Amino acid sequence: MPAEYALSNVWIGLGVVIILFAIFYGVGYLASRKTASDEDFYAAGFSIGPVTNGLGMAATWASLATFLGVIALILRLQVPFVYLWIQWAISIPLLTLLYGTSLRRMKAFTPATFIRQRYGKPSTIVIVCWMILIMIMYALGQMVGLGQAFELLFGVPYNIAIIVAGLATVGFITIGGMYGATYNAAFQMVVMTIAMIVPMGAIMKAMGSSGWWFPPLAYGDMVPDMIKNIPTFFDMKYDFRWYFALIPAFTLGPVALPHLAMKVFTSSSVKSARWAVVWFALFLGLLFSGTYVVGFAGNYFTATTGRIIEKADQTILILNVFYNPTLVAAFVMGGAIAAGLSTIGGNLMAIAGLVGSDLLGIIAPNMESAKKMKWGYAALGLGGLAAVLMAFNPPRFLVTSILWAFGLLATTATPAILLGVWWKEANKLALIISSMVCGIIFIVISPHVLPSICVGSGLVAALGMSGGMVTIPLSFAMFIILSIAFNRMPALKAYAPTLADKKVIDRIHGWGPDYDESRYNGIKWPLIISAVCVVIFIWGLQPW
Amino acid sequence: MKEKIYKKEIRITIIFSVLLLLAGHSASIFVLFPGLQQGTLWGFPIQYIIPILLGWFGIAAVCLAMTLVCNKFDDEMAEYVKTLAPETDTSTENTQK
Repeated sequence: MPAEYALSNVWIGLGVVIILFAIFYGVGYLASRKTASDEDFYAAGFSIGPVTNGLGMAATWASLATFLGVIALILRLQVPFVYLWIQWAISIPLLTLLYGTSLRRMKAFTPATFIRQRYGKPSTIVIVCWMILIMIMYALGQMVGLGQAFELLFGVPYNIAIIVAGLATVGFITIGGMYGATYNAAFQMVVMTIAMIVPMGAIMKAMGSSGWWFPPLAYGDMVPDMIKNIPTFFDMKYDFRWYFALIPAFTLGPVALPHLAMKVFTSSSVKSARWAVVWFALFLGLLFSGTYVVGFAGNYFTATTGRIIEKADQTILILNVFYNPTLVAAFVMGGAIAAGLSTIGGNLMAIAGLVGSDLLGIIAPNMESAKKMKWGYAALGLGGLAAVLMAFNPPRFLVTSILWAFGLLATTATPAILLGVWWKEANKLALIISSMVCGIIFIVISPHVLPSICVGSGLVAALGMSGGMVTIPLSFAMFIILSIAFNRMPALKAYAPTLADKKVIDRIHGWGPDYDESRYNGIKWPLIISAVCVVIFIWGLQPW
Repeated sequence: MKEKIYKKEIRITIIFSVLLLLAGHSASIFVLFPGLQQGTLWGFPIQYIIPILLGWFGIAAVCLAMTLVCNKFDDEMAEYVKTLAPETDTSTENTQK
């Protein structure tokens, strides 16, 4: 067990975790009794109300990193990482605005459901493969973190921790389907918010802050001491391009995350989906502001006490063990575990949807609903087991930061979804080529696979910010230009959008039976967007 | 009417996309205009607390406005669709045929 952090009474920690898992299994069991069709299994019967969905969206988005990795990076990068994290909160609102409600209108289970209707089978296979790769990276990262959290909490070897924690997690998620994942996520969001915010009040009081009554925003009286001890803490440190690079990699990537989109699709109506987003912004803002205060307090703690936090990702635990009673520290750990579980739940549901509904829909398009649901259970359970098995000895490539994978998703899937929803000229072959070519370029120019061929260096390259600023605009521009060219080549007529493909676009925007060829069509604005993308691409290629 | 609705949909989408980007990426404005990095609010440097506030309440406010405007727009769209026959092709090129 690491020397810096230890619960003085392991049994208290065990008690907290057992109570939490008992609740998760109870919710999963009750949810399983409501699941009778594929709509129930993949989309909670399209029945979730705004507040529950807002909590569920926030929980699914806030992963184990919110408690561990982010705080470590705030400790390392200080304020610029806070800025990086703030912008995550626009992902689901942007997703909802740009395509979420349109796809909810067509009752899609995943974004790939739309890809199949709009672009056909070969394109769907390409997009689904990218999405599954990213979901596996995501789930694996959470699973490894979960194993480490159990190892930390109970002092058991990692392999045993991963078996116990992994199987227990996969069990309740598989039982509950989307109903269980959603209701559990809503409960987990409450747990993680309390675990993040309330104990911080006591810590701030112990640190001498008069703002302990509202930790997220009332620690201003600690600022003078912070500036005295760490004068550079509030410096913005990087140039404008660093901040701009957050948009392609970290704003446009999460927009295409299937497990986030699926939360929008579970809404009881299109209007309810929008209201859920309002609640999401409020709940997530509260939790994230708690994360920033923990990062601030971690820096403050090291600066004012002279202590060094060796394992920065354990900052929240170290602060709680240092300042709070064991029961509170164990509850904070429970909050961290809840954060990991809610995200794994979303990831596994996405894998189940992509495999059990989208890929299987290609192989057996006429399968009946009950059978689809059974395949969904199988895909969910097997996906979870695969994540547990891989977590024993995770492939190096797959445990690369999930932040890097957002850039990969923005390169490979975001253009397909956004242009597919908003532009009738989007061409099937152009999608396959731009997604494959740019996705491979993104992998090649990252430092994770071929370190000798790399755009950017250090953290910007490792996180995919520099690579994303090259391949994401390239992918958009290539998709647009190739679509325009291919649609005008008689030899490639088979790949041009058909009238049925175009009708999908009008229908999902709410036009009902009304079809107009000129709507969401034309090449002037797409060409302007391409030109802007080329400028950004060239900017991204300049030395970092 | 349908042209008006279509233009409104595009306008709403662009405006709210820009507002969301501004609320989520307001730190960039302080980098672009370093002169704004002056003063404090609630004891925090302005370039720290404003992005946090906009990233929480700013985004929530934009989402609230987006929900009200888009839900009202959906009603307008539904009203228009109600006036149509079950299978309607109102595109210019098709009506000319």
